[in-house]
Amino acid sequence: MSRSTRRAAGIGLGTVRHVVLLAGALLMIAPFLYMVAISFTPNSYVLTTPPQFVPENPTLGNYAQALDAQDIPRYFVNSLVVATISTAISVLLSSMMAYAFARFRFPGREVIFRILLVGLMIPAVMLLIPQFVLAKHVGLLDSLGGLVVFYVAGSLALNTFLLRGFLEQTPAELDEAMQMDGANAWTRYWRLALPLAKPGLATATIFTFLACWDEFAWALTIINDPEARTLPIAIRLLAGQGNNAVQWGVVFAASVMAVIPVIVVFLVFQRHFVQGLVSGAVKG
Amino acid sequence: MTISSLQARAAADAVAPGPRPRTRRRRFPATPYLFLLPGFVLFAVTVVYPITQAVQMSLYDWRIIGGATSEFLGLANYARALGDDHFWLSFGNTVFYLIATIPPQIVLGLVVALLLHARSPIRPFLRVLYYLPVVTSWVVVSLLFRFLFADQGLINWTLGTTGVTGGDTSWLADRWSGMLAISALGVWKGVGWSMMIFLAALQGVPQSLMEAATVDGANRWQRFRAVTLPAIRAAMAFVTVMLVIGAFNVFISVYLMTGGGPAGRTDVLLTYMYRLAFGDLEFGYGSAIAVILTLVVLVLSLAQLRLFRDRDGVTP
Amino acid sequence: MKRPIRILAAGSTVAAMALIAAGCSADDGGDSDGTVTITFWGSYGNGGNSTQQDVLESTLIPAFEKANPGVQVEYLDVPYDDLLQKLTTSAAGDELPDLVRADLGWVPRFADLGVLVPLSQEMDDFQELADATYPGVLATNLWEGEYYGLPLDTNTRVLISNPAALEAAGLSAPPATFEELQAMAEALDGTDITAFADGGLGAWNLMPWIWSGGGDITDADLTTSTGYLDSAANVKTIQMLVDLYQAGQASSGLVGNEGAISTSEGLPGGNYATILDGPWMTGIWAGQFPDFAPVYSPVPAGDGGSISVVGGEDIVLTASSKHKEEAMDFIRFTQSEEFQLALVPTGQLTVIESLGDKQIELDPQLAVFTEQLATARNRLAIPNASEVDTILNTELVPAFEGAISVKEALENAAAKIDELLAS
Repeated sequence: MSRSTRRAAGIGLGTVRHVVLLAGALLMIAPFLYMVAISFTPNSYVLTTPPQFVPENPTLGNYAQALDAQDIPRYFVNSLVVATISTAISVLLSSMMAYAFARFRFPGREVIFRILLVGLMIPAVMLLIPQFVLAKHVGLLDSLGGLVVFYVAGSLALNTFLLRGFLEQTPAELDEAMQMDGANAWTRYWRLALPLAKPGLATATIFTFLACWDEFAWALTIINDPEARTLPIAIRLLAGQGNNAVQWGVVFAASVMAVIPVIVVFLVFQRHFVQGLVSGAVKG
Repeated sequence: MTISSLQARAAADAVAPGPRPRTRRRRFPATPYLFLLPGFVLFAVTVVYPITQAVQMSLYDWRIIGGATSEFLGLANYARALGDDHFWLSFGNTVFYLIATIPPQIVLGLVVALLLHARSPIRPFLRVLYYLPVVTSWVVVSLLFRFLFADQGLINWTLGTTGVTGGDTSWLADRWSGMLAISALGVWKGVGWSMMIFLAALQGVPQSLMEAATVDGANRWQRFRAVTLPAIRAAMAFVTVMLVIGAFNVFISVYLMTGGGPAGRTDVLLTYMYRLAFGDLEFGYGSAIAVILTLVVLVLSLAQLRLFRDRDGVTP
Repeated sequence: MKRPIRILAAGSTVAAMALIAAGCSADDGGDSDGTVTITFWGSYGNGGNSTQQDVLESTLIPAFEKANPGVQVEYLDVPYDDLLQKLTTSAAGDELPDLVRADLGWVPRFADLGVLVPLSQEMDDFQELADATYPGVLATNLWEGEYYGLPLDTNTRVLISNPAALEAAGLSAPPATFEELQAMAEALDGTDITAFADGGLGAWNLMPWIWSGGGDITDADLTTSTGYLDSAANVKTIQMLVDLYQAGQASSGLVGNEGAISTSEGLPGGNYATILDGPWMTGIWAGQFPDFAPVYSPVPAGDGGSISVVGGEDIVLTASSKHKEEAMDFIRFTQSEEFQLALVPTGQLTVIESLGDKQIELDPQLAVFTEQLATARNRLAIPNASEVDTILNTELVPAFEGAISVKEALENAAAKIDELLAS
């Protein structure tokens, strides 16, 4: 293949690629756009079919009402604090666990890993009552700390499982070289393994933040103090009484606002999906 | 704090065991346990201990109130599940969901990740668009999909206008078409998630091998088979196992799209279990179903992990 | 992993410890300065419409606190759909509040768990308070011979018609009897209007038809369903609904098709001629369908008359409450004219029979509902009432689909309900 034809093929492929991707993207975001449209529609108690993407009399009233109805800014801050702290701790602890699984062979390795897997599999609703009683006995009811502890615990297994795969890819040559230089295990974990696993850490951060940000059932169960409410509870309070008199516009306005931090976290961390760290360092 | 003590311990332990194949004999390899300790202690107290209680509940006609005497039933709750037609119906629907949602999520997620991996000026923008379904609340999208699949919804309207069908399918009124609609939501919401994992994993594909393969005259498909797939093996294992777990735990979408109806025909294991537990206060029987579900998923997951094991015998 | 991340991780750990420590010093009732705080859970605020909660928190509770110095009422709003889960978990953890505004179907359930106080034993003036309420509404508090709560607010279902659809059927007034409904369905045959729509076959949906048709679901002592649910009267009533459905004159929502046009959209939209529904619909339509003028009338009468089903909430006192006397004072306050009438403009019907006229003065549209309530009845007051809904839906759908006869379906359902009553 001559250079010019190859370039032409590349351009053709690039165009096709973009058309396919954009068409797919449109399909992916249509429901979200509908949600945004409804959030600007006045008095929408009933979602009409087929969906209307352009509201007839657009209004900001739903946003004003959502912000006015409750102490949304406070709940927003609560959620932000809980999700940020939980994510940081969870990613730290689980990357340590993942490092142990990825880098060491030790008695009980498989058993411990399987216990973690079981923790992922058991339906969370069946743990609600035992966990509630436990939280009561250790004084974690009705506090943001109680959310953090259980959010960290709940996300450990998934993150460990995810990061284990990434940490295994740390080239053995580099690890051994550092070991020769007298670096201890913590240093090799902190200075070598973690930086090389950046895409994995970024993924874990994005998912954990989303999970903590969206969590509802546990927060509803243990939080009574209105000042300690998180955003999902506030949104659920707006969505209110079954199918009776739900003002979808207000609910969706609150939901749209709630999505923003998750998108920001995603944008910030997806930049860490950088090509070539591993392969460049070893083979290059 | 555990972390600093770990650091001190690790410093003293200057010659720690090396990476995988070289298993040097040590009397007591403390380092890995120290790395595991903080996380696993928390996990043991807040997750493992409650799990043992859930297992205990499944052996009783469990009365939720502390102090109330619960009747010990042994394995009767498990026997009841095996003889319960509705349990099997829910199980069947769960398996349908599993088969209908997992392959598309893996294939589409990987295809989109491969397409989005290549450099493009609008790459971050496109990534956000594909990720949007993942961050949109399950409640909201379940309600939206219920309207899409309604008798007079967009799906029927599209099928009707293009003449593919008469446009008069009552999707949510029948077991299999209802499960199909629920599965469509699962795929739509899940593609962005698996895409993310694959995108992250693709960063670890050795560029040098890719170039070497190109020089050797390997075509796209051959390079994908020989270089890319082996490099993302661990991610593939993670995605498949997580999707199986996720499929067995499908709940909100079913709850909100069909409510398990009509006449319970689209119930999945979790909607049935939730109704038993919090609706009918049958916590013992509900827990038994939860335990069965967990065992089934565990067996499936371990089988998958074995399947993905590489030549060195290392489980991803 | 550069410095900022490390600092973030360390900082987070410290912050988490602080939070946990703060959590450990959780307070208990707040008795330090001599005031008593009673906690009250409910779901007054709903759907972004906080008018009920506003009345409660800014008018009623302050009025009570003023009349009862030293007592504070702390109200917690819980999303309606999740209140049962939260109550169940809190009951298991012995963390219930003093007072709960409970859906009336939940009272026997929590009474059976032993977490409620029988008010009929505990309150000296219980009988007096109870006598003032509608009998059908009061009955929702009865469990094994004792009353575990008092009615707080109520509602019921009446027939709501679309005037244009009535006209299309050649009617000047809504169908008042089963026969008139059937005649209307025949008249609507060939149009694109469906005579009747509903969202399921649960007790809330079916009982108005069953009672109006002269039947019932069990005997009065709740011992057996066989011989009652499968009675000739019920076969006739349900057969009428099945015939309507098979003629295309009852919506598929009835048999659980979640894709059917919802009743709240289909009635104003002209898809449905009539539905059975509660007083809250007025507010829904006023916003989105301002031109729609719904016609309210009693449930069509059959051999048993026109009898609807009671809905609403009761107020209950928990056994774990440390301030029972103060909490009972608040219960008394909820039965007062001041409390009851303050909530009427927000869409809550009073439970006090003698306030009916004043209620209609406040909102003339409530006349039909008030009248219907006088004879409205309660669903099965058993701990696992939700299972009755599951049974009715599961067993009756095959009859609507024509797979089995109505008689057979009712016998199957009755057998299942018998098992439930025996357990």
